Amino acid sequence: MEIMPIIKLYANLRKLAGTKEVSIPGASLEAVLSELVKRSPALERILLENGHIRPHVIITKNGHPTTDMNAPVIEEDEIAIFPPITGG
Amino acid sequence: MNGWNGKILEIDLATQTYKTYPLDMEMAYLFIGGRGLGARLLWDLVGPEVDPLAPENVLIFTNGPLTATGYQTSNRFSVTTKSPLTGTVLDANSGGFWGMQFKKTGYDVLIVRGKAQNPVWIEIKDSVVAFHDASDLWGMRVFALTEKLGQNNNKRNVLCIGPAGENLSRIAAIMNDRERAMARGGPGAVMGSKNLKAIVVEGSGRPEIDDKERFKFLLYETRKLLAASPLTSQALPEFGTVVLMNIMNNIGALATRNHQQTQFEGAEAISGEELTEKYLVKNAACWACPIGCTRISKTEKVEGEGPEFETTWAFGAQCGVDDLPAIIEVNSICNDLGLDTISAGSTIACAMELSEKGYLDSDLRFGRADLLARCVEDMAYRRDLGADMADGSLRMATKFGHPELSMSAKGMEFPAYDPRGMQGQGLLYATSNRGGCHMRGNMVGLEVLGLPKLIDRFQVQGKSSFVILNQNSNAAIDSLVVCKFTNMGVADEYFARVLSAVTGIQYATSEMIKVGERVWNLERLYNIREGFTRKDDTLPARLLTEAPVDGPSKGWVVQLEPMLKEYYRSRGWDENGVPKKQKLEELGLTNLM
Amino acid sequence: MVDPRIYEMFREIGRDLFTSNMISSHGGNLSIRLGDRVVIKRRGAMLGNLKPLDLIETRLDKNDSGVALASTELLVHRTVYLNTPALAIVHCHPRTAIAFSLSRDELVPIDNEASYLLKKIPVVTEEFASGTPAMANKVANALKNYKIIMLRGHGSFATGQTLDEAFHWSSTLEESCQIELATKIINEPFIEYRGMSESYNKF
Repeated sequence: MEIMPIIKLYANLRKLAGTKEVSIPGASLEAVLSELVKRSPALERILLENGHIRPHVIITKNGHPTTDMNAPVIEEDEIAIFPPITGG
Repeated sequence: MNGWNGKILEIDLATQTYKTYPLDMEMAYLFIGGRGLGARLLWDLVGPEVDPLAPENVLIFTNGPLTATGYQTSNRFSVTTKSPLTGTVLDANSGGFWGMQFKKTGYDVLIVRGKAQNPVWIEIKDSVVAFHDASDLWGMRVFALTEKLGQNNNKRNVLCIGPAGENLSRIAAIMNDRERAMARGGPGAVMGSKNLKAIVVEGSGRPEIDDKERFKFLLYETRKLLAASPLTSQALPEFGTVVLMNIMNNIGALATRNHQQTQFEGAEAISGEELTEKYLVKNAACWACPIGCTRISKTEKVEGEGPEFETTWAFGAQCGVDDLPAIIEVNSICNDLGLDTISAGSTIACAMELSEKGYLDSDLRFGRADLLARCVEDMAYRRDLGADMADGSLRMATKFGHPELSMSAKGMEFPAYDPRGMQGQGLLYATSNRGGCHMRGNMVGLEVLGLPKLIDRFQVQGKSSFVILNQNSNAAIDSLVVCKFTNMGVADEYFARVLSAVTGIQYATSEMIKVGERVWNLERLYNIREGFTRKDDTLPARLLTEAPVDGPSKGWVVQLEPMLKEYYRSRGWDENGVPKKQKLEELGLTNLM
Repeated sequence: MVDPRIYEMFREIGRDLFTSNMISSHGGNLSIRLGDRVVIKRRGAMLGNLKPLDLIETRLDKNDSGVALASTELLVHRTVYLNTPALAIVHCHPRTAIAFSLSRDELVPIDNEASYLLKKIPVVTEEFASGTPAMANKVANALKNYKIIMLRGHGSFATGQTLDEAFHWSSTLEESCQIELATKIINEPFIEYRGMSESYNKF
């Protein structure tokens, strides 16, 4: 069976993707992300740079920020993607 | 010497007289301006025998050598005083226009001493200082007063207190340019205790710049960097600071219901996304700022600046409230009353918990958005329970027998970040010289947002290094004074070079950070002189012993003890947190002891 | 033994330095500051293939156990930490940058990325270059005002809050020098595309 983790999108990613939440197949963060960008090409310029994650894009898996794109993903995982943000 | 005006204006309210004298340039070199210079002057002027609300306390308004030069965000200024909320040294700074205008009057520093017999307001037009009777203005709210005194952004700027400051609320802000706040630690109460309602400035001068060519180059580069950074060119202008709501909630570090939880089910409803979509009218910006993070938002009842992230959190998640229009409205009321929104919101949350647990008889309950407006009005006028809330959560909770329910350090209420999910933030709160705040340093960049690079938020070993660098760097930036958001696109090395170009004194990047370290140690010495000890570098028991039962921070409490020990050693302090002689010699502070 | 998370960070950056040709098999060095302590590579260890026991932890201000095994460059790293706000140091041997350092007193990038990030990289000279106090002082002094510097004919020293950051400056420098080298081969007139670049050498 295909693994379909839930991806939550935030800030301007929502407008660009036209949704707040999608289910995307993929067994690693990298696979999920490349499929996401394939489905919503408008996200590419925010998220990727020469095929790699752009600096300061924030990805959390089950609420834990990570920079390891090879991390495996299972069906129950909740992935959140934020464009570069700051505040205080 | 360029950049600085080289002049101090000192006003005595008791006699309604003033004098001017030269700024000690050796002092200026060592402490730059803003917060650093303010702390150094306070050291000489206000000793441990002075009560914060006594006439002997002073208000020291400072700008810095960069202020009004036109460098990006060179609009900020500081007020330094002994805090009526915490009893510590206090610096609060603000943006807008007033600081720039004050610099243009020809002074670097304004010291206000004594107490006026009757309410007064002060008007400074270049070198002319006038005292005006403010009897008919006493009682006025901030918005109406600001307009009445002739606020005109680029020409004439108004700084004042509202009813909260007049009624000596220990969480009262000083407001400038209508809706900018020097909020934390109760500087508004000090101004109220002096019977001083407002200070209006009009200036026509311009600071001299030493190396104009180099300055022009750095201005150009800074513009380029701010435009290139997605943080300063997209995130802040598009969503404002409230954009942090969802990420902090996502990682389980959004303090909720007086820190009883670390995630709020209503976070989405009070997020930056929601604010932008439904209530944002337009952006606004401070003087010389290309970022423009200020929101102008509108509900059926109000239209005005804000709310910022911390405000939205304080009246939102911390009070269990997911009603964004109610939060926008209470923010506006706080600005009009002159109240610190973080402390006000968190004090209400504390009262809500006291009430729910039966320690306090009131109708306050988590989620009661309908009561927020009444609460802040009561605080500002010291009505009913408001009389207790007006002095902040620690004094209130102590009165009702449960000081442990005040979510504060040294008596200052925390901002939104729950440190159980950010260990470094916990150390920051515990060691902050003005109490629980996120402006003496903030670990959200390193521990959550990956700015400049992501580090492990639960790691304890080595955390003190990051915290110390953050605190030193922020103290330096607060002494220039520029906006910390500039730092999101422009590294410290640019600030050091701009400082050198403007003043003609060559500050290497590490020397500028050293100024920050000097300021930090001086503030520490001040607090030690006030009687603060190692035991004050701590956090409420809840954060040290009660681990969240669910969410991504599940099972974590702040591991303060090992971090604090490492912190003292790395700072060059002894095991009691007292700076060692060798450190003071290195920083040129031995003459103070 | 140091925290496994710290080891993992060293291992990743060490591997990347080696695979990106920034060091030879036994060259280069990494360290981080942890409060009042330093973690640094053991003498003779290979950065491209670090094992947990290859990392030594010692005091910042003086020697304690284990220090005999530490890299000969420990003194340089300590001096940098005591004189700058650095929390991490990457020392490597970027080949093209070293080549340019042999004929220049400063490297001023012409490519976009390094123009943004570095502006200018000073070159310092030290005759007795390996771990002497003179070299330590010279390197630390230059790093007070620049986040990355070149030691002539030897290599780069970069500082940051994390190893990741210091590595970023190092690889940006080498990329920039490779681009400049390529322009030497192409040998056509340079078309300026940046504003105020004539001021870079004053940065």
